[in-house]
Amino acid sequence: MRVDAATYPLDALYGAAYVFIDRCYVLLDKPDASWRVTLAWKKGEPTADQLRALVGEFANELLSCAWRAKIAEQNRAVIESVTAQALGGAMGPPSLDDLEKFDFSEESFEDPLGIALSWEEKHKKKARADDPHAAPPGDAEKP
Amino acid sequence: MTELRLHRELYTGAALDAALAVYAPHASFERADDAACWVVRITSRSPERERRIAGELGNYALGLTVKGRTR
Repeated sequence: MRVDAATYPLDALYGAAYVFIDRCYVLLDKPDASWRVTLAWKKGEPTADQLRALVGEFANELLSCAWRAKIAEQNRAVIESVTAQALGGAMGPPSLDDLEKFDFSEESFEDPLGIALSWEEKHKKKARADDPHAAPPGDAEKP
Repeated sequence: MTELRLHRELYTGAALDAALAVYAPHASFERADDAACWVVRITSRSPERERRIAGELGNYALGLTVKGRTR
């Protein structure tokens, strides 16, 4: 079968071919801009139906590998970030020297939408003006 | 004699060398590489055996090429 090199990356072709090497003899070739895949049954002569099924299965595997390669490419930055964080966490807590060098002068983060407020702070009943036990309005707004 | 042609862009030379070393006890191999392909001529007891060794050799070289890429 022929595989369009523009549609399927080489890694997808390798991935699909690798799945089939236990059942078939897989030969990859590049006669022109496309790739050619030759699958030969390892045991006995296959029927036409078996060959059709084999080619269909290979095409499905190729599509699956291409899709996985695309997802991996798109998520590469996230995967690298998570891995780096995991490795950083595995190094253990910071030492006193690390804490001493840490820059605490950075300003606290801004929260214009009030996302960091707790539920109680956000939904606290406003004090009634005629309630003598109510806290002054200024206190209710404080976090 | 059976000839196996493996495209240089798809199979690494190191993978083919390793595969040849593995299958050396089962047949005699002769290299005749050209510009585009690694070419291996396989001679063994019967054409059927040569065909099988060619298939296994190609699979082995492909497997090593793929593994080498994913490292």
